[in-house]
Amino acid sequence: MIRIIKIVWQTLRRPSAYYSLGFLVMGGFIAGILFWGGFNTALEATNTEAFCISCHEMKNNVYEELKTTIHFTNRSGVRATCPDCHVPHKWTDKIARKMQASKEVWGKIFGSINTREKFIENRKRLALHEWQRLKANDSLECRNCHNFDYMDFTEQSNRAAQQHSTSLASGEKTCIDCHKGIAHQLPDMQGIEGWH
Amino acid sequence: MAIDRRAFIKANAVAVAASVAGVAIPTAASNLITTSEATQIKWDKAACRFCGTGCSVNVGVMDGKVVATHGDIKSPVNKGLNCVKGYFLSKIMYGKDRLTSPMLRMKNGQYDKQGEFTPISWEQAFDIMAEKAKATLKAKGPTAVGMFGSGQWTVQEGYAAAKLYKAGFRSNNIDPNARHCMASAVGGFMRTFGIDEPMGCYDDIEAADAIVLWGSNMAEMHPILWTRVTDRRLSAPHVNVAVLSTYQHRSFDLADNGMIFTPQTDLAILNYIANYIIQTNRVNHDFVNKHTNFRLGNTDIGYGLRPEHPLEKKAKNNNKAGGSTPISFEEYAKFVSKYTAEYVSELSTVPVHKLKELAEMYADPQVKVTSFWTMGFNQHTRGVWANNLIYNIHLLTGKIATSGNSPFSLTGQPSACGTAREVGTFSHRLPADMVVTNPKHRAKAEKIWQLPEGTIPAKPGYHAVLQNRMLKDGKLNFYWVQCNNNMQAAANMNEEGLPGYRHPDNFIVVSDPYPTVTAQAADLVLPTAMWVEKEGVYGNAERRTQAWYQMVQAPEGAKSDMWQVVEFSKRFKVEDVWPEVLLAKKPELRGKTLFDVLYANGTVDQFSLDDIPTDRLNQESRDFGFYIQKGLFEEYATFGRGHAHDLAPYDRYHQERGLRWPVVDGKETLRRFKEGSDPYVKPGTDWDFYGKPDGRAVIFALPYEPAAESPDDEYDLWLSTGRVLEHWHSGSMTQRVPELYKAMPDALVYMHPDDARSRGMRRGDKVKIVSRRGAVETRVETRGRNKPPKGLVFMPWFDASRLVNKVTLDATDPLSKETDFKKCAVKVVKGEA
Amino acid sequence: MKNKFIGFTLLSVLLATITNLQAEGDSLATLRNATAIADQKPTPSIAKTQNSDVKQVRSYPMQPPLIPHTVRNYEINLNSNKCMSCHSRQRIRESQAPMVSVTHFMDREGNFLAEISPRRYFCNQCHVTQSDAKPLVENTFVDMHTLINMPPEQ
Repeated sequence: MIRIIKIVWQTLRRPSAYYSLGFLVMGGFIAGILFWGGFNTALEATNTEAFCISCHEMKNNVYEELKTTIHFTNRSGVRATCPDCHVPHKWTDKIARKMQASKEVWGKIFGSINTREKFIENRKRLALHEWQRLKANDSLECRNCHNFDYMDFTEQSNRAAQQHSTSLASGEKTCIDCHKGIAHQLPDMQGIEGWH
Repeated sequence: MAIDRRAFIKANAVAVAASVAGVAIPTAASNLITTSEATQIKWDKAACRFCGTGCSVNVGVMDGKVVATHGDIKSPVNKGLNCVKGYFLSKIMYGKDRLTSPMLRMKNGQYDKQGEFTPISWEQAFDIMAEKAKATLKAKGPTAVGMFGSGQWTVQEGYAAAKLYKAGFRSNNIDPNARHCMASAVGGFMRTFGIDEPMGCYDDIEAADAIVLWGSNMAEMHPILWTRVTDRRLSAPHVNVAVLSTYQHRSFDLADNGMIFTPQTDLAILNYIANYIIQTNRVNHDFVNKHTNFRLGNTDIGYGLRPEHPLEKKAKNNNKAGGSTPISFEEYAKFVSKYTAEYVSELSTVPVHKLKELAEMYADPQVKVTSFWTMGFNQHTRGVWANNLIYNIHLLTGKIATSGNSPFSLTGQPSACGTAREVGTFSHRLPADMVVTNPKHRAKAEKIWQLPEGTIPAKPGYHAVLQNRMLKDGKLNFYWVQCNNNMQAAANMNEEGLPGYRHPDNFIVVSDPYPTVTAQAADLVLPTAMWVEKEGVYGNAERRTQAWYQMVQAPEGAKSDMWQVVEFSKRFKVEDVWPEVLLAKKPELRGKTLFDVLYANGTVDQFSLDDIPTDRLNQESRDFGFYIQKGLFEEYATFGRGHAHDLAPYDRYHQERGLRWPVVDGKETLRRFKEGSDPYVKPGTDWDFYGKPDGRAVIFALPYEPAAESPDDEYDLWLSTGRVLEHWHSGSMTQRVPELYKAMPDALVYMHPDDARSRGMRRGDKVKIVSRRGAVETRVETRGRNKPPKGLVFMPWFDASRLVNKVTLDATDPLSKETDFKKCAVKVVKGEA
Repeated sequence: MKNKFIGFTLLSVLLATITNLQAEGDSLATLRNATAIADQKPTPSIAKTQNSDVKQVRSYPMQPPLIPHTVRNYEINLNSNKCMSCHSRQRIRESQAPMVSVTHFMDREGNFLAEISPRRYFCNQCHVTQSDAKPLVENTFVDMHTLINMPPEQ
């Protein structure tokens, strides 16, 4: 085994003696496109709801809870899927989030939330992560769909219009400040701002 | 009645005109009227009209109308709180379609079964009733007349009706709708303890360390008890709440351990807990040895269906369902040993660790446990068993009849305990837990009632489900329904109830304040006074007896149930209803009416009108010429005094916010069977289950047996039915309160979103729920307050427009004869869009 | 006069026809729109919850106020009480929602606590939303305010 690795390594290290520079540049470019395409395809594959709920931890907990909410079923049928809210759309942020996700893979392998009880035990920690992220990016994933500039306050209920035209407009508040628990059940809300 | 802008301007104009003209109008400080005379509301206390919790409410009256109600601060039950129904009690009497005249089906001026309802006088109504009843008695005898009453009757109403039927007509065919509600609880109490009703009381909530709801959705069905459970759980964080049900509901919001189980497997879970207690060596042997016996109950007892049903033909012991044989503790331990956590988890789908957590709460000697149950256990083809099995657990650990340790059977109706059970308006019962089959009991009743020996028939009459079957078979021909809506409430309406009521040989009388579905199916409808339009007594689930005065007049023409029964008795001479042999034993009764014999008997009529406080209305007493409610109550109370059912003198109940019987030496009893708390316990015994001759309660070995009907390939879903917070039972009162109606207008079918999706349905779709017996159309709800698991749907039965009991199965517990409304097999199919 | 008479005749014929269409005795069934028991009246759509945010008149001072907005997915459980994130004493400046009444701070014995009494924790036991369903039967309850404004009888 070690011998094979050695041979491969040595082959790779050795300068090319047979192919032209142009061929190598072109070949490298094409290979790069193929690799990049493959990487992105794989990345995008992990960015689907089907992938998310292929783990029972997601399917039986957060996804089950989502089913009755407005982000799952509503008048126009525009649905939020897991990555819409939980994966940043900008590429660099997305990669950063995916690097974090390696920890989630670790958690999956070691079953850190593989029962409902363990999930509930960890719910506050997990929710706090998401709230902090959304607070820090000014609720970016909410705003990907809910653009403040195009809100028609006259179509909103009075109390919603009141809050949106003041606190949200001034930037004093961001979506997640008031809309916690909109898609999943809440953890113990003791000590959370706005809840006591 | 909303006052619109025009009316408001008009009212103001009157005030302006009046002041200009110098007419005295109420003095106003600025825009407020402040004269005490004008703003004063006359307040009085009454028991709430709805559930068995037995809250006390304050009722505000102005100008002869109820204008406000609120929770009674002085009541130990609710301490000032009401649920949303209770807060809207003020409006239940004011539906615009209150009945005010008797209505008879007539054609060409004559009674006709196929006729149209026509207003008639009370005189005419009693004429036709008496004619039909006498003809039936003459042709077929007492077994062809019957009555279906209620746990919503006042004590006096139930007592007067039971007397009219059991003694007057000599028919035991009288049964209350409590048969649908708590007959299994009664069966459980009688079988385990030999005496009915809970030993503990609501105070146990505030003392418990663990509270377990077995199939009960207390958050919606007993909201005020739920406030006490919530108060306990949240103010004492060590307290644990466990909730078991076949679907997720509001009570799970407070659950530390919420468990969804497959219907019917509660029997296995109960046996598992007993097994766990034994296996972990936590049996309280000292208690068990001194105070219990073990018995093995008969199994394979059938499902209370018609005898020709294949399930009944197959059952081995449906003729001796109540039989049992003594066994030892070791035999019992062996019996339950097969109910391991793994086996029961597989059967019930409840995870092993959740079962263990639940069992440990019961097993731990340091944890005080209170268990609550209602229709989940009672409306069950093994309802009496379920009741027996929960007592097993409390008895094995000795966690019973002490503060915080309480197996507590909740009741559905406001006087299920007071009227149906204590008065004994069941087809097999007499007052104070006595039964018609016991000659000594009959003799005692005949003595108190001053009747000749042999008046009361020895054979139990038709129970609720059997009444509908006998109506259909044409064997029960004169039938009077009071204070309930059984056409809507009873199971299998298409095959039993409706054909029964419409059978050409039958004459059906329905007394109700409103035109219910049952009234629609009747031949004669009697307009009825309700709640504070009459004086009465209710008894709640913790043995608390409560009284109220009449506060307002009933609408012109409407009469109370008791007035109807007593007035009707005047239409019969003893000779009309009794055989000569009986009359010969007491010839002085010859020529007398049943009114003279049953009510003007020197006891019921012993209190004069002067005993009624002068500012009280009491329409009925003033009609009869004596204080009839007091007379009926005092005669009834003689049954229980000295027999562990002691009631206080009548007048005291008007002063108190209720008292829990037995009331001995003026003191109520919080916990029965425990020395120091219950005056009937023999000194030195510590615990004394005196309902049984040897003072020992019985621990029963009873297995898990499957439901009468389970889902299969065609009918692939379980259907459970039940109530909702906003509506009381069939909704005949609450559907007429605009706020309650608008809060919950229609009965929907609650479904798991995946079950809907796999059938191509979504929320709001029009669907039919179809069973082997019928179909009901409704709309799908996938995100409502009830969240069923896949494979089960839930539909409430309050909706007069969507009668889910066309679908349900009339399988009953062979012991209690109570119907299982929680389990049958259905399919849900899409209706046209 | 003649026209009136014809109108009346037509009306009575029409009424008679309607009555004949119904099975006998079904006219009594007010909640059921006079539908025969074996039949079922048309099944209306699921009623919509009113979301006007406009406070409604209370039938009497002790009546719990109705909820004038939707509460879909509002949780009240061991973890959180969504209602209190607007209606609690501390939150009303920001939310401009009505504060829970002072009675809600009293325990069973009538003592005032520093927070809402846990017995009042589940708001939805007394407070309900209202749908746009039209009541099937009118209610003739009379408001006490109407009574005290009535001129005294002569």
